[in-house]
Amino acid sequence: MVRTAQSGEFIEGVDDQMTPEVGHFALALALALALVQSVLPILGAKRRNILWMQSARWSAFGQVLFVTVAFLALMQAFITSDFTVKNVVENSNSLKPMLYKVAGTWGSHEGSLLLWTLILTVFGAAVALFGSNIPQALKARTLSVQAWISVGFLTFMLFTSNPFDRVFPPPSDGQDLNPLLQDVGLAMHPPLLYFGYVGFSIVFSFAVAALIEGRVDAAWARWVRPWTLAAWMSLTAGIALGSWWAYYELGWGGWWFWDPVENVSFMPWLMGTALLHSAIVTEKRDAFKSWTILLAILTFSLSLLGTFVVRSGLLTSVHAFAVDPERGLYILGLLAVSIGGSLALFAWRAPMMEPGGLFKPISREAGLLVNNLILTTATGVVLFGTLYPLFYEAMTGGEKLSVGPPFFNAAFIPVMLPLVFAMGCGPFLSWKRADLPGVLQRLRFVALLAVLGTLAVWYLAEGGPVLGYLSLMLAFWLFMATVREWTMRIKLFEGPVSTSWRRASNLPRSAHGMTLAHAGLAVAMFGFIGSTVWKSEEIMFVQPGADISIGGFDVRFNGVERVRGPNYFADRGELTVSRDGKYLTDLFPERRTYPVAQSTTTESAIRSTLAGDLYASIANPASEDASTQGAWTLRILYEPLVNFIWIGSAMLVLGGGLSLSDRRLRVGAPRRKAAVTARVPAE
Amino acid sequence: MIWLVFAALSTIGLLFVGLPLRRRSEMTSVMADTTPAVLLDQLDEVKRDLERGVISGAEATAAEQEIKRRILMQSRKTAQATKELTSGGRFAIVLSAMFVPAFAFGYYAVMGSPEIPGIAFSERTAERQETAKVADLTNQLYDRLTTDPSGGPSEGWMLLGQTYSRMGRFADAAEAFGIVAKRPEATSAVFSMLAEALISAEQGVVTPAAVTAIEHAMELDPSNPAAVFYKAVALRQKGDIAQAHDLLVRRLNNADSFYPWMESFVAEANRIGTEIGRAPISLANFAPMVNAPGPTQEDIENAQDLTVEERQAFIMSMVERLAARLQDEPDDLDGWMRLGNAYSVLGDREQAIVALERAEILLSEAPQNDPRRQTLKEALARMRQ
Repeated sequence: MVRTAQSGEFIEGVDDQMTPEVGHFALALALALALVQSVLPILGAKRRNILWMQSARWSAFGQVLFVTVAFLALMQAFITSDFTVKNVVENSNSLKPMLYKVAGTWGSHEGSLLLWTLILTVFGAAVALFGSNIPQALKARTLSVQAWISVGFLTFMLFTSNPFDRVFPPPSDGQDLNPLLQDVGLAMHPPLLYFGYVGFSIVFSFAVAALIEGRVDAAWARWVRPWTLAAWMSLTAGIALGSWWAYYELGWGGWWFWDPVENVSFMPWLMGTALLHSAIVTEKRDAFKSWTILLAILTFSLSLLGTFVVRSGLLTSVHAFAVDPERGLYILGLLAVSIGGSLALFAWRAPMMEPGGLFKPISREAGLLVNNLILTTATGVVLFGTLYPLFYEAMTGGEKLSVGPPFFNAAFIPVMLPLVFAMGCGPFLSWKRADLPGVLQRLRFVALLAVLGTLAVWYLAEGGPVLGYLSLMLAFWLFMATVREWTMRIKLFEGPVSTSWRRASNLPRSAHGMTLAHAGLAVAMFGFIGSTVWKSEEIMFVQPGADISIGGFDVRFNGVERVRGPNYFADRGELTVSRDGKYLTDLFPERRTYPVAQSTTTESAIRSTLAGDLYASIANPASEDASTQGAWTLRILYEPLVNFIWIGSAMLVLGGGLSLSDRRLRVGAPRRKAAVTARVPAE
Repeated sequence: MIWLVFAALSTIGLLFVGLPLRRRSEMTSVMADTTPAVLLDQLDEVKRDLERGVISGAEATAAEQEIKRRILMQSRKTAQATKELTSGGRFAIVLSAMFVPAFAFGYYAVMGSPEIPGIAFSERTAERQETAKVADLTNQLYDRLTTDPSGGPSEGWMLLGQTYSRMGRFADAAEAFGIVAKRPEATSAVFSMLAEALISAEQGVVTPAAVTAIEHAMELDPSNPAAVFYKAVALRQKGDIAQAHDLLVRRLNNADSFYPWMESFVAEANRIGTEIGRAPISLANFAPMVNAPGPTQEDIENAQDLTVEERQAFIMSMVERLAARLQDEPDDLDGWMRLGNAYSVLGDREQAIVALERAEILLSEAPQNDPRRQTLKEALARMRQ
């Protein structure tokens, strides 16, 4: 159907060019299948009708097929710059590099909804495909609930935000020329984030299905955990990538701004982290059932909130929301039905669930309960800080208020620090009842090291806030306690290395995963703390030849040169960096101007090492009066340890991956008795 | 072709729902055998933990006991809960399978646009060449006009302005029209085009400069429809909605025949009329069309001073002029209707029918609710009696 013809007559042979309409029709078919799937299997589970329950499997495959067809159709329209599709007109341009044309498919509101729905149906089909060990009734109910979400999204898309709206005759070219959004990091950011958001949908569906069925047990928790892990990993990677993008591309030198758009992705992450841990208790001890179900519901609810709130423009202003009331009302309705409905179901059914295993106040269960409580509180803090300005604006009739980093730093960090302390002890605690004095005894040495490490930093660094040192001490504590727990498990230095090696390879991968992830958080904390507490920043007017010293570096500003790029021109500053008189490197920050798009971007120059980043950006002279004649605004930052953030994030994701690869956790996990007896002990 | 693809897709959709009918399930796992599997696995894990020394012997025994107790509870529960699975309900599956294509086609019939082709950017080279050619010619025209020592002919500037308007370059268009507007020969149309360009350049906002242009256009020709229309827009933006509505309706009332601009007048009048609770108006009330005599009232008054022969010759010459013009402009629907009317007044029934039939062909492409359809039908019926 793709025509590459360069024939003069563009109207000739139009019959074979119908992909946008095929995409539109495929979406209608997907909606029809979702409607069937949302009714038939769940009725089948109720009436124990095997045929109806099985229909879920095939309609889930059908949905993913048709949504894929639609997605590819839209992508084709973007790739060929088919400006008869309104979405392409508004979000692309014939001159865009191919990669960004492809990424344009999910760059817009409509396209991102389509991607969302695609991932949703992929997860549904994955459950249908890999969940052969899940009881038929639970699977049927789960897939029906998943189809309800599908129906919500497909109707929202088809009736208020259709990606296949057409324009005829087509305009001569597309309208989007935004150079800032043409970035690889940004192109990959939404898919990862969405994979996380939507991954939690399947956990939500499992939770609602379990509530309907009225039973949650160890088996249920085990089926749910891999999905939770997969979603959590994607979300972690998505958030880290977004933060990395902001750091390198925006030219502000910050990696987290407590911006509402960031917060709405962070909240499901916090909740999802709690869910991940809560599900362990449900699996191992048959306890925390209500917690796990509630967390599953809340995590997905926050994902929905995140998707919709960003998409509706509600965050920029309540006013923007009112501009498109049709969309806004639909969103509110959908949120009310899904969140309100599932919570009401929870309120009704949760009390009927049987209580699980008992435990003492000092036990691993209790430790994970603290984890649940703290993470939930932290989520509440972020939610409050994010939504309060909106309520304020709505209540006062338009007065604006901004809740920024000071609030979050003051409210969020003190809530999270006790969690870091608990994280150090938690893995040492045993199930049911634990011996706290014994654990603390084992951690004496770790505590001592943490204090010593902090003192060493205090001696080397020139001052800093108390909270900074406290956080640092806890990061040391967490890192070393995690390593200590791992060495204890494998009995490192307690016998021959070969014994330790054997023990390490005998240890389940999920145990290694936990160690890696917990250590990863500590590593990321070093980055958070270093780049926040000991960050140095200089903003000044400089004349060529000026010398600036920052963070132990000497920076000389050699001047600015006008350079030309493919579709922009730039003022490029030249800086020479040296330390103790020794030449290190040159930095070339640019200020690019794109004449066609009439916009400018900052291309910062960074000298990146493990110890820290030297970060330079340049701007036009503030004014052209005599005092600043020939001067430039130069901004130089030194951010110690900032790269530890990305390293730590990568460790978190890898840890999740290791845990996911644990064969006991694999999808369709439980082994049969026969397999158990036949198996070699090695795992 | 497109419908074939839709039919194929729908068939696939139908099969996806209908498939369970053919395949009998072989992988029905029920709670009864899967839950204990998980618990057995846990039992195994406790053993391994004990081997590794992660837990003590006493802890392991306690854990094993608890897990065994759970296995027992579980199997008791499933024994109670197990009911026969049924496999009826085939009719519901068939019905659901039929629903899929029915829903998709039903939705698509309302929301789809099968008539719009998809056109890749690379296939539009001809169009782009055309656009480039127009842009090139426009630039040439602009150069010629600006280098002309006498300032360039007014026709040239008007052509340039109209081209710019079509290209969406309204500010440039306003500049071109503005040059002619300063000249003594500027007509009402020049000022109304200037006003239109100025308003379009400001995304529909009537600026003071546009108001001045509208006033000039109205002074020169109070009946200039474009001037009247933008005057109404200006009034409405000032808040004088009633006055704007009156102005539009008055101009409609003064129309002697159907003109394409009347449709936008009626639409605008109805749009603003709802804001002040005026009853909606219909185009049919304002388009006299064939009921109006061919020659205008003025022509007839002039003709009354003539002798009978002279008068007949005058009317014939008018009619012939119209007929000759229509040979050159055969698509002029209103012209053919007027000609038909003129012949009928002159009593030339055959010619009248020929002219009206031409109009009928042209009218077949007009919208169903075009009021001219009704008048034409009546006129033809009268002639064919």
